[in-house]
Amino acid sequence: MYKSFALIGLTLTLFGVTESAFAATQNFTLYINAGTLPITGNGGATLNVWGYGTTAVPVVPAPQLTVNEGDTVNITVINNHNINHNFIIKNVTTDTSAIAAGASKNYSFTAPVAGSYVYSDTLDSNVNREMGLYGAMIVKPTDGSQTAWIGGPAYDHENVWVVSEMDKPRWNDIAAAGFVVDTATYKPNYFMINGLGGFDAMMDMDTMIMGTLNTKSLVRIVNAGQFSHSLHFHGNHFQVLSINGVRQPTPFEQWDTINVPPMSTAEVLYSINQTGHYPMHVHTAQCEGANGVYLNGAATMIDMQQFTEE
Amino acid sequence: MKKLTQAIILGALGLGAQHVHAATISKSLCVGSLSKTLYGTSTTGKSVTFWGYSDCGGGGMGGMGGGTAIVPGPIMEIGVNDTLNISFSPMGMMTMEGAPYNGHTIHLHGADVQTMEDGVPETNGNMVMGDTYTWTPSAGHEGSYMYHCHVHTVKHLEMGMYSAIIVRPKNASGAFLNQLNANTTTAYDYSQNYILSTVDPAYHTASGDSVVFADYNPSYFLMTGKEGKSTAAPAMTLAAAKGKKVAFRLVGLHSTNATFQIKNGSGVAQPFTVYIRDGRTLPTAKTVTSLDLSPGQRADLITTLPTTSSTWYPQITYKKLRANTDGTYPAYATVYGKVTF
Repeated sequence: MYKSFALIGLTLTLFGVTESAFAATQNFTLYINAGTLPITGNGGATLNVWGYGTTAVPVVPAPQLTVNEGDTVNITVINNHNINHNFIIKNVTTDTSAIAAGASKNYSFTAPVAGSYVYSDTLDSNVNREMGLYGAMIVKPTDGSQTAWIGGPAYDHENVWVVSEMDKPRWNDIAAAGFVVDTATYKPNYFMINGLGGFDAMMDMDTMIMGTLNTKSLVRIVNAGQFSHSLHFHGNHFQVLSINGVRQPTPFEQWDTINVPPMSTAEVLYSINQTGHYPMHVHTAQCEGANGVYLNGAATMIDMQQFTEE
Repeated sequence: MKKLTQAIILGALGLGAQHVHAATISKSLCVGSLSKTLYGTSTTGKSVTFWGYSDCGGGGMGGMGGGTAIVPGPIMEIGVNDTLNISFSPMGMMTMEGAPYNGHTIHLHGADVQTMEDGVPETNGNMVMGDTYTWTPSAGHEGSYMYHCHVHTVKHLEMGMYSAIIVRPKNASGAFLNQLNANTTTAYDYSQNYILSTVDPAYHTASGDSVVFADYNPSYFLMTGKEGKSTAAPAMTLAAAKGKKVAFRLVGLHSTNATFQIKNGSGVAQPFTVYIRDGRTLPTAKTVTSLDLSPGQRADLITTLPTTSSTWYPQITYKKLRANTDGTYPAYATVYGKVTF
């Protein structure tokens, strides 16, 4: 259940004299706590996690931060966990210093150019991130258009896929118990899109690509894991709009499989050009399962309808 | 239905003449088992059991598992606007898992066919105990595709149920052109299919929803079904004339990261030009000395051989999915091809 949370304390302060008429101040508060992530269905388990949340209950992936290009963004991160953590939006914020247990820190910045960003806790050799401290920040264009960027390709629907994996026995169980993880060994046995195993992600309406003929979905892929993930779309090719924030030249290349390395992003445009039901899955053997149970891994569905279902 | 729609649209556009030389290519595929002796880093060979597609010929449903199963399976070449009809008969208890992963399919990877042609048992209309699959690639869709079983893919693809489909341009008489697509700048003199795959023998003996499938530890690395562990024992060879153009079609059926390069005898990476990715011509061809290919991807590229005789070694380096702390990916192994000219 991917939580796209409502803006907290959105202040519609219009800067009538600035270059961006719609720039606002957006305030977010995130709490770091220990919690659990249930992977349901066969092969599933309850994973011990650490996460960011808008309440004392952390969510994995962390709440999606949605802002507009040029907004003033203030994020307060309150560490209610018992060890150091931090908060970095890759390619946006630079303060890597720790937030001690019980302390908090404020991060303020002007929202960068429209696109998809990944934020995480970068401490302890990827352990904190692997435990669930990661999420996406989506920056929309200032003009309010449904485009990837001003003047960029238009879309009708949008999906944000935070792809990740967890090694339950060697990382999550060990770190949650307060022991030191042997980071040299990483054999993840759970693979997720938006914190969901495939059985849930294939029915989750926020994760599935769903559309009617001749509409387009902008799919924002954020790899918060430690593995490269090679995502294969059935049913149609997609246009590659941006890779790791680099907007691609037009006309866009058309692929059916895209590799998204760890801590990178990609934006693709998938057109609904026929009707049918198709899977989208990571094409790498083990990544399709939950502890070996087929299809409860990094997979979702593409539902292409002729008309809108009433 | 889809084909009919295409014909109507093409007719309305006055393009119906393109169908004059469109052929119907019928194939019958079955499934069989085979074993390969693989070495990896050991000097002692290990026999690994594979399942492979076989060409069991003659139309119909292909009889009772006739033909010799091979890994990779039969490579199929079809022309733009041709119709590929595959009759598939996966009989034989020796090459099946128990329920719910019994039976097999053919997924035409990259073909973007209708759901019922897609070979995915979890979606509607795909039979696992025998089916037919039809695909008519459109103009502009030249390039390399792949087919593989989509039943319990984590095992069945690993078992060897995969190969390539090459979509080629044709001339006005319906003969194949030695070009990657309709543009003469993609002309070549020779072509080779490099099918990438990796082997974790534990996946070959496990079945069902085993925890074995949660952890992939490949120990054998293949190029079109062969280990080519050194330049002295390459997996693929080509004897070419100097100064000519060689096309390579890379088909990613592996489950690791991989990088393709062409090195000369001194180990210097040579340039090549990528014209097609995933069956779609790139708007701008890219000349590079290294190309990453991830699981499921394909690339069609051309290199021009020098005008003086020598030997080049096209090669695939298979790499881990997890990067080192410096961002580089540790290599498992390199598999070599060889071009003498």
